[in-house]
Amino acid sequence: MSDVVELAVPVRADLLVLARLTAATLASRAEFGIEEIEDLRLVTEELCLSVTGSATGGVLHLRFLRDGHSITVECSLETEEGAGAPVGEPDELSVRIIEALVDEHGTGSDGTWPSAWIRKRGTKVAL
Amino acid sequence: MGDASGSPATSTDAWEEFARTRDPALRDRLVSENIGLARRLAHRFAHRGQPYDDLAQVASIALIKAVDRYDPERNVAFSTFATGTIIGELKRHFRDRGWAVRAPRRIQELYLELGTITESLGHQLGRSPTVAELAEAADCSEEAILEAMEAGQGYRSASLDAPGAGSLTLGDRLATEDTGTILVDERSVLEPALAALPERSRRIVKLRFIDGLTQSEIAAEIGISQMHVSRLLAASLAQLREAFRPEE
Repeated sequence: MSDVVELAVPVRADLLVLARLTAATLASRAEFGIEEIEDLRLVTEELCLSVTGSATGGVLHLRFLRDGHSITVECSLETEEGAGAPVGEPDELSVRIIEALVDEHGTGSDGTWPSAWIRKRGTKVAL
Repeated sequence: MGDASGSPATSTDAWEEFARTRDPALRDRLVSENIGLARRLAHRFAHRGQPYDDLAQVASIALIKAVDRYDPERNVAFSTFATGTIIGELKRHFRDRGWAVRAPRRIQELYLELGTITESLGHQLGRSPTVAELAEAADCSEEAILEAMEAGQGYRSASLDAPGAGSLTLGDRLATEDTGTILVDERSVLEPALAALPERSRRIVKLRFIDGLTQSEIAAEIGISQMHVSRLLAASLAQLREAFRPEE
């Protein structure tokens, strides 16, 4: 079973809750353990921060894909000035946090806007 | 800012030597070379309502554990291994003491209860329990569990209309905002504000938002027109909004 959920969220700290709750809800459907959900919640926020960088406006496009017991989150930033606005390198600490908490991650999937993705698998079935 | 590695200088040789000798002086050196990573991670969590100093201490102790447990043969960079260990300890710290943020009491209680249930279910199952399993054990909905987790991790959402927000990055905002959460216990805030309304308006607001009646139903109940209900509601809400405005 798979689900795809898409969110377009203005770059505002008070709205990151939507990204975290969406990730947590899908992870719960994917039967993630509570620890794994906490990690996913954290890493989803970190993903948004890493894509946003120093941008102060714009819209984050988030795509959550649940495929069996795996969750993929893709995040790209649509800036007001349009495509290709320079956002700079993702913060190294963000990269480290992401690395520590997910199975796979990467950057730049869409070519127009800065973007990054992460994938995390639940361990319930793997055990 | 950009360097998060603590120190890139720790060589593979040093880790191999420490794995072999367990030399206390070398251990101290490895810890101090990587203390920057612990501090930066502590700082990253500092917007969630716990003092930075406490978090830095938790992160430092976790770093020492990471130094002791790191196995250079496992082909994982120390910084990656340590980041996982430190985040794990910080999460645990928040789970135990994360209540600097206001949350509805039932959610707080549920979250505290979840700690115990998670532990006993974890032992029973030999893995971290799922949300569905926790909901069944706590006799509540899965949504309530997710809500409790959100509140319990001490996340803060910024005030909805904080002034001057436009010029800050998300990171800045997370680091500075600390006004309320989406899960503020509305009732405890609402009661005094409601008490300040005229009696009839108070009754209308309660019928509309607590009992869930429509404007027409309220009109019939009170014996005034629906338009009048609408006007009174709008005026009451304006007054309530004023009461909820964050203090400057």
